[in-house]
Amino acid sequence: MLHLLKIDLKKLTSYRTFWVVCGLYFFTLAFVTASGMEFLKWLASKGAEFGANININRIPLYHFPDVWQNLVFISGLFKIVLAIMVVISITNEYQYRTIRQNIIDGMSRWEFLQSKILTNVLLSLMSVAMVFVIALITGLIYSPQIELADVFSDLEFFPAYFLEIFAFLSYALMLGIFVQRSGLTIILLLLSHMIEAIIKVNIPDVAVGLKDFFPMQSISNLVALPFARYALQQIQDYVAISAVLIALVWTFLFNYFAYRRLKKSDI
Amino acid sequence: METVLSTDKLTKYFGKLCAVNRLDLEVKRGQVFGMLGPNGSGKTTTLGMLMGVTNPTSGSFTWFGEPASHLTRKKIGAVLEHPIFYPYLSGQKNLELNAMIKGADPANIPKVLELVELTQRKDHNYRTYSLGMKQRLAIASALVSDPIILILDEPTNGLDPMGIAEIREIIKRIAADGKTIILASHLLDEVQKVCTHFAVLRKGTLMHTGPVDDVGKGEETVEVVAFHDDLSHILHEFRGSLSVKLEGGKYQVRMREGFHSVDLNKFLLEKGIVASQILTQKKSLEKQFLEILQETQETGL
Repeated sequence: MLHLLKIDLKKLTSYRTFWVVCGLYFFTLAFVTASGMEFLKWLASKGAEFGANININRIPLYHFPDVWQNLVFISGLFKIVLAIMVVISITNEYQYRTIRQNIIDGMSRWEFLQSKILTNVLLSLMSVAMVFVIALITGLIYSPQIELADVFSDLEFFPAYFLEIFAFLSYALMLGIFVQRSGLTIILLLLSHMIEAIIKVNIPDVAVGLKDFFPMQSISNLVALPFARYALQQIQDYVAISAVLIALVWTFLFNYFAYRRLKKSDI
Repeated sequence: METVLSTDKLTKYFGKLCAVNRLDLEVKRGQVFGMLGPNGSGKTTTLGMLMGVTNPTSGSFTWFGEPASHLTRKKIGAVLEHPIFYPYLSGQKNLELNAMIKGADPANIPKVLELVELTQRKDHNYRTYSLGMKQRLAIASALVSDPIILILDEPTNGLDPMGIAEIREIIKRIAADGKTIILASHLLDEVQKVCTHFAVLRKGTLMHTGPVDDVGKGEETVEVVAFHDDLSHILHEFRGSLSVKLEGGKYQVRMREGFHSVDLNKFLLEKGIVASQILTQKKSLEKQFLEILQETQETGL
């Protein structure tokens, strides 16, 4: 297993685009998640211009345990960047036909797919670690008092975040294997949410309960939008088991479809 | 001799098009096996099936007497069609990757780079290589695991004469090491120069298979040049001549079986003619190949 991961990493680590995209991703992620207070200050100054008085110190954006869900939610919006990297990585293999040579050289098709899936796991884990560290540091800086019980509560958002990223990367990988061309795959990836939204709008009212079963929706359902709570609204501040189960099934299916396709096609 | 490869009614359809039709082949250890056929005759499709990238429609094959899997492929070095590498990786890194996949010792890399004379360019990106260098790197990658068997598909395609000669030298060197080689080509000359055995494919069907040495057995053609006004007539008189043709100022005499150039020479001397040139021509593979294709065309295949 480790050997397969090493093979895929060897392809990527000498590829400049990989470093540029991953660098951009982690830099943007760090910058955006760490600058929430600056954003609030800017918001307050804008508000002051219009005579509204916002006391930003009363918005516990970075207080434990709020910080976990807040940052995990924001970070989830950037997963498209990692997914594009995954698309480039798999479609390159088709464009350069190196997937063919890999198989000729003695990889099985399943091993080839495994090497890509393992990279997805690694990228997801790195993203989780990154968000965890930033949330921990900002939480320690901004929380007025540090209660261990607060620090250690709501940590289930991290496994949920891992699943969110990994499910989406699995989807990107599958799309790449089916479409094989990078440009078209990226466009489809970007439009996935919209296409799904169009379908959801058109489903009959009796089947409204099905909406949560759509793939993109199921991924979004893992971590709910937290910020409405600062406008005194009720939010879902936990990870729903049903959402996890649906997302897990989709993740399995994405990888299974990719496997089936790879197994059956002439390369 | 040990059988390295054996195929049993191997068949591939692309939609309705039959690319390979019930192919039975056998390759033994130590052979340099040439696969001949016009473009589109199913050579690459066959090799693709043997190397696990094309799924056969029906039929089967075994490598080393065992059913094929990705593990048997690790013992084979193969380049199909054109060289395939990661353009943004250097030659060295590409070979390291090949070695990782094949489970080969990376210590082999300098050796194979030396063999194909790429040591100096090994740290440059693959995309900067010339076509000849790409082909040579492909051979290096096929050799990196020190395979028992080597498969080369049109290894000299698109090369200049010097490049072709270089690749041919490399193949001969490898064959001298006792490795089994399967060489697909439409260049007959190439096959005749390096192969011990050959098979002819046409529209996916096996037309002929046998040793290269058998080519040229049977009737001979003797080329004669002599100064005599009525040479054509005299040559026709010779008992051993089947037909006489004038080509470029030289007479081509096809001999009956059992007759050789010596007999013709004697005959001419008896007639008081001294030939200024008399030369036995072996039938080339090219002729044989065209004959095989023609025969099968006539039989309606």
